[in-house]
Amino acid sequence: MRRRFTATAMAIAALLAPGLAQAHLVVTGMGPIYDGVTHFALSPEDSLPVVALAFYAGLRGPGSSRLLLAVLPSAWFVGGLLACLSGVALPPTALPLATAVVFLAMGGLLASDLTLSTPYHAVAAIAVGLVRGAADLGGAPAEAGSLLDLAGMCVAAFALFALAVSVTLPLKRFWMIVAARVAGSWVAAAGLLLAGWILRFGAKVQ
Amino acid sequence: MRWRPILLAPLLAALLTLLWAAQPASAHEVRPAFLEIDQTGPAAYSVTWKQPTMGDVGIHLVPHLSNGWLERPPSDQYAAAGFLIKTWKIAGAGPAPLDGQTVRIEGLEDTITDVFVRLNLSNSQKLDTVIRPEAPSLKIGFVDGSAMSAAGFVLLGIQHILTGPDHLLFVLGLLLLVRDRWMLLKTVSAFTLAHSLTLAAASFGLISLPLPLLNALIALSILFLAPEILRAQQGGTSLTIRQPWIVAFAFGLLHGMGFASGLTSLGLTGTALLTPLVLFNVGVEIGQLAFIALVLGMRRSFRLMAIGWPKPVALGPTYAIGILGAMWAFQYGVLLFGPGA
Repeated sequence: MRRRFTATAMAIAALLAPGLAQAHLVVTGMGPIYDGVTHFALSPEDSLPVVALAFYAGLRGPGSSRLLLAVLPSAWFVGGLLACLSGVALPPTALPLATAVVFLAMGGLLASDLTLSTPYHAVAAIAVGLVRGAADLGGAPAEAGSLLDLAGMCVAAFALFALAVSVTLPLKRFWMIVAARVAGSWVAAAGLLLAGWILRFGAKVQ
Repeated sequence: MRWRPILLAPLLAALLTLLWAAQPASAHEVRPAFLEIDQTGPAAYSVTWKQPTMGDVGIHLVPHLSNGWLERPPSDQYAAAGFLIKTWKIAGAGPAPLDGQTVRIEGLEDTITDVFVRLNLSNSQKLDTVIRPEAPSLKIGFVDGSAMSAAGFVLLGIQHILTGPDHLLFVLGLLLLVRDRWMLLKTVSAFTLAHSLTLAAASFGLISLPLPLLNALIALSILFLAPEILRAQQGGTSLTIRQPWIVAFAFGLLHGMGFASGLTSLGLTGTALLTPLVLFNVGVEIGQLAFIALVLGMRRSFRLMAIGWPKPVALGPTYAIGILGAMWAFQYGVLLFGPGA
């Protein structure tokens, strides 16, 4: 078995060798993927809705969490891919508005701990994924680097969602659940502030 | 189990992305070219340029250095099997003739190959990097280690391990191999102790290995783990599975020498190296622990979500470790033992 595994690995590696990575000391070969992960990690407009949605999914139980773990990164990928291939970017004025709406919706969902049927959870995840994916990749050139960037973001969204779900999934005590919902109210409040700022100052917000 | 196909969707998407991104690489010259600049005396330098050829035909690659050294006719030029090699002997160079200079590889942007660049200066300053087609020029810059703050060295250590997929894959392999917490503690401690020892020894110049050989050995250490993980997952046993800390220690010695490259490039020597070495190692440990926490956190999350991965998906990380380890070993094997080596 071991010999077969080594032979298979060597064969696939030889096929992939031309296009992919090199080892650390010379070159990682993973630049764009790291860029995508870093972009996600440094963008609260990406990470906060994911955390809010994951907390909400965790409160709803393992079934919803599993579904959203698959749906959210997939929708993110599709949103980014569509934006990248079409070359259409959200107008600069619409970006902060979309961020505010996503913050309000996801924060509100968590804060209210609304009981919805599972398909609606998926709809929420698809909406967040499509909007944020399109916002991240809007205007990016349709080339391998952009796609790897997007893959990095999706991997980061998957990892953060999984980690955040594990915070609320085991919660049983009432006060702990309330604490998680308070976190949702903060995200919604951030969205509200952003929306107020947009109403007051319009497009100058970004 | 209705959700299983849905869980496969992002994995398939990621796979397709990688395949699509790898697609342009077929049927072109992919062997890397190599540019090495060695300081051979106080004002003397030797430059070696090695580019791949197929028969008598070579891809159009011409190295340029902004100080004009490579515009002169080469001191020597000859064809080895599969490679064209040119050398320049530079004498009477001024002080720090390479600082701030730019290396540009003409024609690289039309290829899919890379150029390894290595600089060895007599004051222990080294630079190992790569020039890729998307950015065919490189400004030479040595970081002044003496000017860095304590936090800078810690951050350098964190950055070094977190941007090194080879080290991370090895740690991931160990985590997949280890079954219980006590063994996890022993294995991670053994890896930490081993790489700290050789990091220190290599930083002080007590031990060294040629870089391609070291990289090949590190790649082989990753490749070695994959079949062992597979065997463990299938209920088999071996010394590696029973005592993974032994493997972690043995291969940790190699990885430590790899970590040292992140520090030796700063040009620090003697006692000036001691504090940076400790801080850099602290950074490496922080990065390593963060990665371990991430993997364990994900594993806990999957358990809480009661995800029963389909077998091909469950084997995915193991095959990824094996394939990448094999690929890197193959690449460095070619570099070490291939034509023109």
